Amino acid sequence: MKNNVFTINNLNFHYGELHALKDITIDIKQNEVTALIGPSGCGKSTFLRCLNRMNDLIDNINIEGNIHYHEDNIYSKNYDVINLRTKVGMVFQKPNPFPMTIYDNIAYGPRCQGLKNKAELDTIVESSLKKAALWEEVKDRLRKSAMELSGGQQQRLCIARAIAMEPEVILMDEPTSALDPVATQKIENLITELKENYAIIIVTHSMQQAARISDQTAFFLMGELIEHDDTDTLFTNPKEESTEDYITGRFG
Amino acid sequence: MSNKRKRKDIFLQAITYLASSVALIILMMIFFFVLKNGSGLINFDLLTSDYHAKFYNGGTEVISDDISFSAPNDLAEDAYFSNHWGIALKNAKDKEGQAVIKVEFIDSQSPLNELYDKNNPDNTTFSLKEGQVVSMIKFHDKASALSVQGAENMINQLNEANEFREIVFYSSGGGIRGSIITTLYTIGLSLLFALPIGIFTAIYLNEFAHKNKITQIIRQMIEMLTGVPSIVFGLVGLAVFVPLTTRYTPATSGNILSGSLTLAVILLPVIIRSTEESLKVVPDEFRFASLALGANRTQTTFKVVLPSALPGILTATLLAIGRVIGESAALIFAIGTAIKDDISIFGKSTTLSVHIWSLLTDEPANIELASTIALIILIMVLILNMSVKLISSRFMKPFN
Repeated sequence: MKNNVFTINNLNFHYGELHALKDITIDIKQNEVTALIGPSGCGKSTFLRCLNRMNDLIDNINIEGNIHYHEDNIYSKNYDVINLRTKVGMVFQKPNPFPMTIYDNIAYGPRCQGLKNKAELDTIVESSLKKAALWEEVKDRLRKSAMELSGGQQQRLCIARAIAMEPEVILMDEPTSALDPVATQKIENLITELKENYAIIIVTHSMQQAARISDQTAFFLMGELIEHDDTDTLFTNPKEESTEDYITGRFG
Repeated sequence: MSNKRKRKDIFLQAITYLASSVALIILMMIFFFVLKNGSGLINFDLLTSDYHAKFYNGGTEVISDDISFSAPNDLAEDAYFSNHWGIALKNAKDKEGQAVIKVEFIDSQSPLNELYDKNNPDNTTFSLKEGQVVSMIKFHDKASALSVQGAENMINQLNEANEFREIVFYSSGGGIRGSIITTLYTIGLSLLFALPIGIFTAIYLNEFAHKNKITQIIRQMIEMLTGVPSIVFGLVGLAVFVPLTTRYTPATSGNILSGSLTLAVILLPVIIRSTEESLKVVPDEFRFASLALGANRTQTTFKVVLPSALPGILTATLLAIGRVIGESAALIFAIGTAIKDDISIFGKSTTLSVHIWSLLTDEPANIELASTIALIILIMVLILNMSVKLISSRFMKPFN
């Protein structure tokens, strides 16, 4: 039995009048890939952003229920959000490297935590790029702008940037939706490798992708968590009718 | 029906052509007027010489009999050359049409390159330069050579003498060195005040301030300030900054510091607006990415957002410089209109634009020099605008 990294109980989320998440209860386990699937606007991205409190940036929201990261409720009053975000990394839908050099992109997070030692930064940059399977492609141009990389390389750079913080969990919000199939394949392989060390929660619109790479799958619909199970079970033998409708492509 | 439509089409199109050509012709006419009147005076001396004529009374040592110079090949035909002193003089007319004697050429070895100051005998020396006006040379044992007697007489007298008692000459003036220095001072000082305040205000408004009534009001006030005529700012400068600077600095009237402070107030809304615009262009993805990496808001703003906005801020700065160069109404009150050659931050003087104003209000108005300065300003603004274009095309690419 693996340990839980996130324990979510009765999470309710409101954007103003809109009830975006309804009574979500789910556990996220270590060293597993959890895929969140569901039609657009079902709340899966909102849910993902709750886990590193990126929703805080939006005005006029209301959150009830609780999310425990290990033992701590991350929505309790004195919780250190900055610390949470160093432990829970995030990769966005569109590759978003900073307009700086490749090296500075990776070193950005550690530097923000006050790390200045150049040798240590060098080590972090190299190991992060290696873990993100990008080292061989960029090792000769670390001082070049990250903007010159291709879309797929940029996304792997973003993953490397998240890894550089040595997080425990990596949240991925449709990380391959802006990429071509070859780049997608590379990212998927990477995700499979990364789950040795990290818990990965990935939002995806591709059923095949969810089936290929995830251990657990959660199906969201209209802000509700309809079903959550082992990926194999959910895809071969869904308990709910709406889940079956969705994964067989009858709607959504 | 279709004929009517065609006529309407042609009519409307003709109006657009006509309007564009009128606009173009007007702009070209301004440019040609300035070029025609002003290009005659443009040269390096104008930029480096004083506006006011300066008088010199020089003396020299006795030179030996056998010193001799040869005239340069390209010496003008109406110039008279002194073999003995290595100098060529020429009859000319000054701006008021009076006959004067101008120095046409001076040999680099000429003894006239090192004259000691008659009024101030402790070793200060100066030299006679080309373009300066010689009004008289006094000799020890004979009558002085005066400018009314002409250049030829003066040269002949010189050739016969191995020494003279005194040479009286003056620089012809009309240079704009002082105004250029003042302009540079006002650019530097006003940016020194306006840039930090403007940029930090823009950062606050765009990055930190909550979107509520108060920030809305602040923004609208700033917007309003951009539309205020600069003479009103000049009034503020006269009422606030001039008394302030005269009280706390050695200044006694309008001065460069008070002018720069007034300009800083004019620039503030411009800088705040354009900095905010360039901050808005920075994609939110950068902010999210930074925050998701555990950076706090301040780090995100200063390490990611601000560097990305730098090209925009640089553009704002260049536009601000253009504004400083072009501003005149506000400065007439805040700096004064007295054209000066010795520039002090706490003293009166004129920027290039106010220099034009002063020249045109003189009696008689010096249209030629005014046009020359206008031409210089046009060229400066043109260069600034081209730099703005260059910067925005070169550095704004990452976002597209």
